[in-house]
Amino acid sequence: MTDLDLPAASARLAPQPTAPRRRVPRDIPRFVALVVLALLFLAPLYWMISTSFKPESDTIASPVQWIPARPTLENYREILTSPDGNILRWAWNSLFSSLAYTAAHLFVSVLAAYAFARMKFPGRDFWFWTVLSSMMVPGIVTLIPTYVMMIQFNWIDTYHALIWPGISGAFGVFLLRQFFLGIPRELEEAARLDGANSFQVLTNVILPLSVPVLVTLAVFAFMGSWNNYVWPLFVVHGDMQTLPVGITSFSSRYTTDYGKLMAGTAIAAVPVLVAYLLAQRYLQEGIAVTGLKE
Amino acid sequence: MSDQNPLVPYLYLLPHAIFFLVFTVYPIALGVWISVHRWDPLADTQPYVGSEFYRNLFLDTPQRDFFWRTLVNTLLFTVISVPLLVITALSLAQLLYRPVLFRAMFRSIFFMPGILSVSVMGILWKWLFDNQSGLVNVILQMMGRPTIPFLTTDGWAWVPVTLGTVWWTIGFNMTLYLAAMGNIPASLYEAAELDGAGGWHKFRYITLPLLQSTTLFVVVTTVLASLQLFGQTQVITGGGPARATQSVIQYITEEAFGNNQFSSATAMSFVFGAIMLIFTAIQFRTMARDAGGPR
Repeated sequence: MTDLDLPAASARLAPQPTAPRRRVPRDIPRFVALVVLALLFLAPLYWMISTSFKPESDTIASPVQWIPARPTLENYREILTSPDGNILRWAWNSLFSSLAYTAAHLFVSVLAAYAFARMKFPGRDFWFWTVLSSMMVPGIVTLIPTYVMMIQFNWIDTYHALIWPGISGAFGVFLLRQFFLGIPRELEEAARLDGANSFQVLTNVILPLSVPVLVTLAVFAFMGSWNNYVWPLFVVHGDMQTLPVGITSFSSRYTTDYGKLMAGTAIAAVPVLVAYLLAQRYLQEGIAVTGLKE
Repeated sequence: MSDQNPLVPYLYLLPHAIFFLVFTVYPIALGVWISVHRWDPLADTQPYVGSEFYRNLFLDTPQRDFFWRTLVNTLLFTVISVPLLVITALSLAQLLYRPVLFRAMFRSIFFMPGILSVSVMGILWKWLFDNQSGLVNVILQMMGRPTIPFLTTDGWAWVPVTLGTVWWTIGFNMTLYLAAMGNIPASLYEAAELDGAGGWHKFRYITLPLLQSTTLFVVVTTVLASLQLFGQTQVITGGGPARATQSVIQYITEEAFGNNQFSSATAMSFVFGAIMLIFTAIQFRTMARDAGGPR
């Protein structure tokens, strides 16, 4: 395992040719099955959007009102101006802390992975294995002690609590190191002959070749931070909440008014869904390559 | 500073090392300390109590009752959800592996719910399974069936939690399977076809054996994710009815943040962490093998 190597990952980065196969009638049942399953998968999302445009009395109408009979924007207006919480502020908290987290995570991971992949120094392997072993520590083990640290740092209800604690996650270092190892030495040596120092090698040779893996890591870091639930639930409150946590506070207030609740979840979900439709290639490929899972 | 300086590599490591020491190594050490003291954010002194909070998990205490009960809840959820999440994902991948009209679109649709935060998914599934007016109950009514108060009935409460989780996370496993299926040489299938093998035989004797290491990885990561059940039950059922769906992490956070029993909660999280460590070790091994060797 010490001679971890890139080929496996890079082979999977390449598009896989799929064998040409007959598209004979036996594919029609498969297509129909897929259509039915796809409709089942989309139904909850459709129901969310549909409910969000219904007046309260229509949300509980029977028979099922698939298309809102009396569409209204009232739910959105009310949820956006609700005295219980500022949804736009929460969205900003999520956006800002997730962007800052992603940038910082990439920064420290790139520098460390570069040292681990391209430099020789005493203690390198020991330190790398220490970092790697930390991936085995389940999140729940550090949750409460880290919370206690937040109290001691006076970081409760601040962006610091949202941004810094997860920065040194080992997976980014591991993924980048694997990729950096696969970049040919000759490229680095050519740059060295031109007088480049180690930092210039990193910025001019290594990073430009690593854009796909950097984007993959960035997408996952951003999503992980944006969707994080258990940590922000306890370290930030009120106006400092993140969007995913904030909307659950509507859940306790509008226990039966699902029109407004669905408007709230739609506001939280739709931008993410649109972003996904734009970046879906990276996400699915990223999972295939990294085997990454929450 | 010249590159010849032996300190240069350490400078590159420094930012990561600082965060790693402060937010990974130190919290573990602090956790050990907290779990053997009576830590109270409001008290002036934190007296040493030794293994008291660990012993409480095995003596006649409410902590013992709730900890093991919620651990059983969590294991129950794991036992129900993991087979669903693995078999369904494999089936979806099998449906999507060969070219079909709109294949890319189907892939995207099955993956899409997975990018939602657990709270969005939870509120949505709570609405779908609402006791009176949820879509599922409205449909049951239309079919002339009695409604089921899913959210407040023992047993039934697991249905929205489990189905919601399947809907939410199946795309990850499907994507892993699709990637692995792409690595199976087409020539194997062609040779099998020449021997007259049908679809089921090809799946049984080529696809399934060659997906073995992927399946191990998918199973272990899914078990780990299921053991960390928190948001789904927090949002959909609130852990109810009467703690019937409360997960062990939910109980640990309740003990810490609801009851201000940080030391007791830390001891529990260490015990639970030790249980999870076994699964994490297996995952770690499969990942290391995955990254190390050719496939």
